[in-house]
Amino acid sequence: MKKLIVFSLAASLWACGEEPAQKIEVEKPKPVYVSTYKPLPSEEFVLKGATVLIGDGKQMDNASVWVKDGKIHAVGLDIQPPQGVKVIGAQGLWVTPGIIDVHSHLGVYPSPRHENNADGNEMTAPVTSEVWAEHAVWTQDHGFNLAREGGITSLMILPGSGNLIGGRGVTLKNVPSITVQGMKFPDAPHSLKMACGENPKRVYGSKGRSPMTRMGNVAGYRAAWIDAKDYMKKWDDYYEKAEKGEDVDPPKQDLKLETLAEVLRGNILIHNHCYRAEEMAIMIDIAKEFGYQISTFHHAVESYKIADLLAENNICSAMWADWWGFKHEAYDGVRENVAMVEKAKACAIVHSDSAIGIQHLNQEAAKALGAGNKRGMSLEAKDAIKWITLNPAQSMGVADRVGTLEAGKMADVVVWNQNPFSVYAKTLQVYIDGALVYDRNDPSKNAVSDFDLGLTDPEGERL
Amino acid sequence: MRFFKALLISLVVLSTSLSAAAESYLIKNATVYTSTAKGKVTNTDVLVENGKIVRVEQNIKATGDVVELDATGKFITPGLSNPSTNMGLVEIGAVSSTVDAATIEHNMGAGFNVSTAINFRSTILPQNRINGLTRAVVLPRSGDSIFAGQGSVIALHSSAKGLLNDNVAQFALYGSDGARKAGGSRAAAMQLLEQAINEAKYVRANPSRFYEGGNWQFSQSLNDLKALYPVLDRKVPLIIAADRMDDILRIVNLGKKHNIRIVIAGGGEAWLVAKELAAAKVPVIIDPINNIPEFDSLSVKFEGAGILYDAGVKVLLTGGGTHNAYLVRQSAGVAVAFGMPKTAAIEAMTINNADVFGIKNYGQIKAGMDADIVVWDGDPLELTSNPDLVLIQGEKQPLVSRATRLRDRYWDLIGNQKQGFVK
Repeated sequence: MKKLIVFSLAASLWACGEEPAQKIEVEKPKPVYVSTYKPLPSEEFVLKGATVLIGDGKQMDNASVWVKDGKIHAVGLDIQPPQGVKVIGAQGLWVTPGIIDVHSHLGVYPSPRHENNADGNEMTAPVTSEVWAEHAVWTQDHGFNLAREGGITSLMILPGSGNLIGGRGVTLKNVPSITVQGMKFPDAPHSLKMACGENPKRVYGSKGRSPMTRMGNVAGYRAAWIDAKDYMKKWDDYYEKAEKGEDVDPPKQDLKLETLAEVLRGNILIHNHCYRAEEMAIMIDIAKEFGYQISTFHHAVESYKIADLLAENNICSAMWADWWGFKHEAYDGVRENVAMVEKAKACAIVHSDSAIGIQHLNQEAAKALGAGNKRGMSLEAKDAIKWITLNPAQSMGVADRVGTLEAGKMADVVVWNQNPFSVYAKTLQVYIDGALVYDRNDPSKNAVSDFDLGLTDPEGERL
Repeated sequence: MRFFKALLISLVVLSTSLSAAAESYLIKNATVYTSTAKGKVTNTDVLVENGKIVRVEQNIKATGDVVELDATGKFITPGLSNPSTNMGLVEIGAVSSTVDAATIEHNMGAGFNVSTAINFRSTILPQNRINGLTRAVVLPRSGDSIFAGQGSVIALHSSAKGLLNDNVAQFALYGSDGARKAGGSRAAAMQLLEQAINEAKYVRANPSRFYEGGNWQFSQSLNDLKALYPVLDRKVPLIIAADRMDDILRIVNLGKKHNIRIVIAGGGEAWLVAKELAAAKVPVIIDPINNIPEFDSLSVKFEGAGILYDAGVKVLLTGGGTHNAYLVRQSAGVAVAFGMPKTAAIEAMTINNADVFGIKNYGQIKAGMDADIVVWDGDPLELTSNPDLVLIQGEKQPLVSRATRLRDRYWDLIGNQKQGFVK
């Protein structure tokens, strides 16, 4: 009986059109500002005899890492490459995946930092989902080179937190490039920056407009998502009709709502600046109300208070090791935050938000490791490395290609002179897609930015 | 008789207050970074009595009522210090009612003295001392004047006894920050600095001519000029913030010309003029982790602090801002990774501050010193190391702060409502 009803309903639908529906291919918007990234030339090699942190919680001692065609070919204790493959002795050295920072403003707040190049915060309206960080990245920011020396191979550049919804972030591979397109991580999902708390309400409240309070913040997010749903429906309706062959014009493209609609479709990942526990819980409910997933809370100073809730909702926390007290929402910072999130089996990330910190994410993770262990945990290097490799890769939606030293992944590899969680550790070599992009022992091979040339001495070096 | 009785009572009170600090400690078998010419010594015992270090030797035998602690495999440093903080002047950076670091009050520059604003119950003090910082120089920030004012030195006790000296330095700005305070040009900043020094000399030489409350036409208020007398007398150094190489040289020359003690703060490009700084005996306050080039410091690099040390400059390390002033040891670790000897880096967080700011009986593990001692569970510069014991002037500090209370409250998550009953 039921079947019959369904059939007759379908039949009546057909009856509306001239003939049974034949789905017509309707042109979808093409990706724009597409990546032109190409791996730099590389050769096949094996790093032999190193202590290898895989990035997923495993450690292999006296192991080899085989890189071929820019990919991790194999990692193991007994690797026998064919003759002619370059073997690099790495006894006593440590090898890790390329370090990944999920929160950087390099290029949009570059150094030198001054009034001409503060391009990270479009604080002209509380919702500016129409702006894209990649449109403002100054690729000659020397900070990219400094970060590369610190082992950073991928990073996400986010707009600032002055707005409720600040704009799209972009994931880059940390290679020198004249154009930002040449740095864009191929097919990495876009991100959208949202911000809780004090910053947006201060920026707009001080101008006498909404949001002036945390209440206003939440009303602002909800209003934006309501508009986004409406916009998404317009386009869905258009596609539905157009695919049936109806002669309909597409709606006018709205940059602001397009970004939000892509979040609702699951194509753009939410990165939400949010310090306080109860605000995070509200943001989780907003996401449920409108049907999107929060990838990561950034600057999540109070994640330790709700680490169970974050685990349950599959949301990462991107944290500093120890920053606190610069504003009231950062007053409850604890040095064990990262370790306590790990303890609750939630996704813990150490991020920088700093041109200095990004050069030392290993040190920031070391502090978090030391704090957790002093309180009684038994964290090891193989655990802490996840906070700056696999977990940020997952948060950014690129864990299928980077974040661990597993066969088939991009060969983003860092060779360290010792355990990277020592304050004395230094990178020796950094590889991106198998290509050597930094060599501490041979500075002549290393990239320099335009900024460096002839700056303090026309013929000499800046440093 | 009445007088004698009063004296007796005050003696009793005195001895009671001393007894809080009078516990004796014998720390055994440690590796000790002494911050003395002896450098690092191993398998060494440190005896603390009456708040002082009394012996630093091998195989000290405990006598009498002494708390003995085994520090085999552990490390001792003097309690660390940071020469550039706003400790006690800031609780929450963005909450103005908790910030007393600067004034824009007219006629308050060099004479601005922050000692009367220091909040010794700030949460920042315990959070820093449990992480190994026992002393700090508390500097004002500049409001409108090119002179920020006078700095204090504190021991990180949570009471007013922590104020050790209310005027250990005068702080002023040069470089682009100084230029901003002087209407927009470094040249004006230099003229203002020099004018103030000359005027202070003049007023001092003619004291009867300038009475309080008169309408005198000077670049600074009378009170501000008088506040420069200790600088003129070389009793306190004039710390001047400067990063650019030529800025630093000009400030060094200013010091020579007027025979005042200069300390450079910032020092991004100081390594380029290390020889000149050493020859002029000008110390440098520097945070080696800051290698971000700015137009004031285009040639800044990690190696700077080590190069300065090698050239014979007295280096004072800073880092971590105020809330995390203890992170000076991370900055020290970076300096060591990039060339500075480890013992020198530890001296640059201890005895060098004592030397420059006249902090008495502080900065070394040596008989006669105040017992500011940290026992570390690993290499004192490693970020995975933590203090096991912190003594400040002989007093054992509970390793508790507001942050550790929060940590412990939430260590086990037992449920949304129930958590509120965990203390």
